Amino acid sequence: MFDADKFIEKTIPKLQEEIKGKALIAFSGGVDSTVCTALVNKAIDERLVAVHVDTGYMRKDESKNVKKMMEKMGLNFRFIDASKEYYKALKGVEDPEKKRKIIGEKFIRVFEKAAEKENVKYLVQGTIAPDWIESGDSLRDTIKSHHNVGGLPKHMKLKLVEPLRDLYKDEVRKVARKLRLPVSERQPFPGPGLAIRIIGEATPERTKIVREACDIVEKEIENAVEKGLMEKPWQYFAVLLPVKSVGVHGDKRVYGNVISVRAVQSVDAMTCAYSKIPHEVIDRISTRITNTLKEEINRVVYDITNKPPSTVEWE
Amino acid sequence: MVKIYIIDNGGQWTHREWRTLREIGVETKIIPNTASFDEIVKEDVDGLVLSGGAPRVGLESKLGNCAEYLKKAGFPVLGICAGHQFMAQFFGGEARPSKIPEFGKIELTLLKENDVLFKGVPKRSIVWESHNDEVTKLPEGFELLAESENCKIQAMKHKNRPFYGLQFHPEVEHTEFGEHIFRNFVKFCTKK
Repeated sequence: MFDADKFIEKTIPKLQEEIKGKALIAFSGGVDSTVCTALVNKAIDERLVAVHVDTGYMRKDESKNVKKMMEKMGLNFRFIDASKEYYKALKGVEDPEKKRKIIGEKFIRVFEKAAEKENVKYLVQGTIAPDWIESGDSLRDTIKSHHNVGGLPKHMKLKLVEPLRDLYKDEVRKVARKLRLPVSERQPFPGPGLAIRIIGEATPERTKIVREACDIVEKEIENAVEKGLMEKPWQYFAVLLPVKSVGVHGDKRVYGNVISVRAVQSVDAMTCAYSKIPHEVIDRISTRITNTLKEEINRVVYDITNKPPSTVEWE
Repeated sequence: MVKIYIIDNGGQWTHREWRTLREIGVETKIIPNTASFDEIVKEDVDGLVLSGGAPRVGLESKLGNCAEYLKKAGFPVLGICAGHQFMAQFFGGEARPSKIPEFGKIELTLLKENDVLFKGVPKRSIVWESHNDEVTKLPEGFELLAESENCKIQAMKHKNRPFYGLQFHPEVEHTEFGEHIFRNFVKFCTKK
């Protein structure tokens, strides 16, 4: 069995040996990067600078909450709003792999800039096993380029440190619980953020739509879980499809977009089964999305594919 | 401690095999399939797992150095997916593109219950799949152990040597008795 205590005990001295001087950590506020931050913070203390980048593709209130968390954890942190840069870089880009690579490279450039200012030579990332497995290598096919592995540029000035490389999410959660981190049960959120939940071009306008839809899915499902109506899924969100369909609003024809709701059960993200959400819950989600976003969305579908053959996110 | 190494044929789930063995308390390591047999034997292993991978065994006939391992190994070898297909081909069977490939959840039916590898696994259980090719002809000297609706050779074993082949993936979380099958394999390696 995976032993979180032993893992922590072994990792801290390793980090102390590996990191000479200051290090910068890419802090998204998710389980992986928060666990990583806590470990490195224990190892090298104030020599660690946590950097959170608002890419413009964050969930509702996410960056605001992350800021609060960084303060609460007592971190030496920097908050960078790079949303305009990201929107510009992704303008006109539709291919999912291109999106991921552009976002991955941009992260590194932003970190490099921050590192130069702080005189830092190491970049710590919360990379976990599925990230590098799915990104591919000389033996393995690329399923998708995770921003922190396959999305990295070839030439980098910073030295990478990845203490969670051999762990899966359920194991990272065990470490998070041991460290008493409040994020231990948070659902995963991909580094490229909402950009890969928008099929086609990820414009600021379309980002707003999918952000609202994701928020509704999250709130409704969390509500249903709290009431005991269903088991908490591994991950649950909305995807904006580049498909239009006909509807009717108050006796008038409308022609709007489609949202697909996705919720899956998994332990480690390497295989997933779609969640059997009760009809009353999916019903509420559908009605709330189409009413709240009535100008944009007039149809909601539920994704019933397992992994394989699909993956959790659509891109 | 039992020592079972995993030959990496480039599968998405190779590292999952490593994780499952580690959880069971086996000493394990992932080795690239370019390693020579001598390098592996030097480490005194009790068994090998040949992982799956993207190479289409049904279309190509090579899988790293897997042929050498199968020729020389006196210890147990468990071939999974591409590793299983290659094992069949190596011993004179056939692997071809599946008429109906299987991805995700399917039902496995055991044709022989209480075989060493399947001890304690019910006749019907849920397993997870991910294959474009499959074994279409059982090699001589092998015994058929399990099937599914669309794939008739889901599990096989060599009659005289300690070799097993599985088309499905016991290493993933969603395979109902996956860890159980691995535990049986570990026992099998221990007895030797």
